[in-house]
Amino acid sequence: MKILIIEDEIQLAENIQKYLKSNDFVIEVAENITIAAEKIDLYEYDCILLDLMLPDGNGFEILKKLKKLNKTAGVIILSAKETLETRIEGFNFGADDYLTKPFHLSELLVRIQALIRRKNFQGSTIINFEEIRIDIQSKSVNVKNIAIETTKKEFELLIYLIGNKNKVLSKTSIAEHLSGDLADMLDNHDFIYAHIKNLKKKLSEAGSGDYIKTIYGFGYKWQND
Amino acid sequence: MTKKLLTKTLRSNLLFSLLVLMISGPLFYFFTERLYLEDSDEVLLLRKNEFVKFTLSSMKESEISIWNKISKDGKIEKEAHSSAKDSLFFISKYDNYTAENEPYHVLKSSIRIEGKPYSVQFRINLIEANDLIISIAILFSIIIILLLTGLYIITKRYSIKLWKPFYETLSQIEQFELDKDRIPHFKPTSIEEFDRLNKDISKLIEKNSSIFKSQREFVENAAHELQTPLAIFQLTIDTLIQNPAITDEQYILVNQLNETIGRLNRLNKSLLLLSKIDGNQFETNEKTDLYVVIDKQIPFFLEQASFKNIKIFSSIDKNVFVHCNSELLEILVSNLFLNTIKHNKSNGTVQITLTKTALTFSNTGVAITLDSEKLYQRFSKLNPSTHGNGLGLSIIKKIVQLNDWAIKYSFKGDMHSFEIIF
Repeated sequence: MKILIIEDEIQLAENIQKYLKSNDFVIEVAENITIAAEKIDLYEYDCILLDLMLPDGNGFEILKKLKKLNKTAGVIILSAKETLETRIEGFNFGADDYLTKPFHLSELLVRIQALIRRKNFQGSTIINFEEIRIDIQSKSVNVKNIAIETTKKEFELLIYLIGNKNKVLSKTSIAEHLSGDLADMLDNHDFIYAHIKNLKKKLSEAGSGDYIKTIYGFGYKWQND
Repeated sequence: MTKKLLTKTLRSNLLFSLLVLMISGPLFYFFTERLYLEDSDEVLLLRKNEFVKFTLSSMKESEISIWNKISKDGKIEKEAHSSAKDSLFFISKYDNYTAENEPYHVLKSSIRIEGKPYSVQFRINLIEANDLIISIAILFSIIIILLLTGLYIITKRYSIKLWKPFYETLSQIEQFELDKDRIPHFKPTSIEEFDRLNKDISKLIEKNSSIFKSQREFVENAAHELQTPLAIFQLTIDTLIQNPAITDEQYILVNQLNETIGRLNRLNKSLLLLSKIDGNQFETNEKTDLYVVIDKQIPFFLEQASFKNIKIFSSIDKNVFVHCNSELLEILVSNLFLNTIKHNKSNGTVQITLTKTALTFSNTGVAITLDSEKLYQRFSKLNPSTHGNGLGLSIIKKIVQLNDWAIKYSFKGDMHSFEIIF
């Protein structure tokens, strides 16, 4: 999988690069529109992370160019200036998703995964992890071929954890993923604990291994050991 | 006590006129009477001189009684001895015809007829003082009434017209709100002072508006500019925690950083939201069902409430449509909802009531009435122990104001209530 990060803030680009690298992504960075345009001309990307405010112009130009070249790359806009208008404009120009800065790397990763799943029709909408099998389309979870019942929140949590496997996730990032803007207002993210506990229980009752590791005082990690 | 400008001028005008007339009435009487008496003196003197000149020289003693009979206002009487001086005096004489005492002015003069001392008297009937006073009083009353009604009408008609530009300016200023982009435009008047007033007010408003605008832009720009460093901060922490060498102790420290950056993010988002509302960036209004908005948020807050064992009761009417930007409506409801849980006590209750005209969020909490003056001020935290940024109620108030609704806080029983009236 090839990803192009178009971002003039080098530190941001580097952090994204580091986080995504371990997930079998090949990552390239372009820090302005000129370099980005050259790269788009020459190579094919599965996903493009696009900052809107670039030193030599507006990120929308990249969207127009992609359309002109008939490129199929999925685009996630990463923007600091969020208004409903720029969002709508972005989608009209062919962007697939929109993330407002600041965001969590774990959130970005699951968004990229979801985008690639949607774009790549040959690929299935099935996620497999050891004895766990998740069907995104039918929203079902099987452990050793036996279906288990999950709530909507637990289902989202499971995809989020597996998507970010072997990565430490803060409670804050999980809360924001599950409750969006509402979690944003909360100063207490303890409610995550209840969801984790229930999910753990359901999985272990179905005979799955215990993959959710608690990071003391910080958050959780989905890991295979 | 404040009174209207026109009432005040009218009142002082009327009072002064009344005072002048009250003083001038007796003065007028006094002068009229003096003039009148002087005039009657002259008449009496003229009569006497005529008598002395034409009649006296040829008069005989035998003719006295006849003259006395013929003359209506003259009388010759025998005197014991003559005096050199004329005397003027008043007498009152009963009049058969009018059946009352009539005042007379009398000139008495010594004369000699055929060498014997006599006196001749001429008298003139005077107007009764009473009659004069009454006439003057009636006259002055008529003048007072005419003057006062005249003044009243002139003030009402003319002064209102005169002061009209002033009242127009006043109502324009009253309608002016600094945070809305409606700068008043004053029409030119034909009065120099009013034009000056309007010009100065315009200048003042323009200056304040531009200061307010640049302040607003500063907040918005600052909040925007903070987004990128905040994002770098956040992503660096996200990357840092992936390091397998981090110890438990360090995780706790990083968690503190993470929570702080979370607070910074929330603060920045709130500031951005406030400046966006100020900057009229939420102009699109749509008809939104408030029931749907509340219903959508209930599961999340039920979950939040369960951690403090708070019970949520609701009595929500369906199909309550309001005209509002749907994004702001969601923010309004979630902020109100959040407050009922954040500032609640364990085992407390929340009551949500939605009718066609009002939305009320009530909750148990601290047993004191909150200071409604400070309640909506930015960064005023009534409970310093909470991690809130003190902007929640400012945002609520802003959204309420934007839609011309009203918000009312009350503390009854043990429930704090915020009522939004559409």
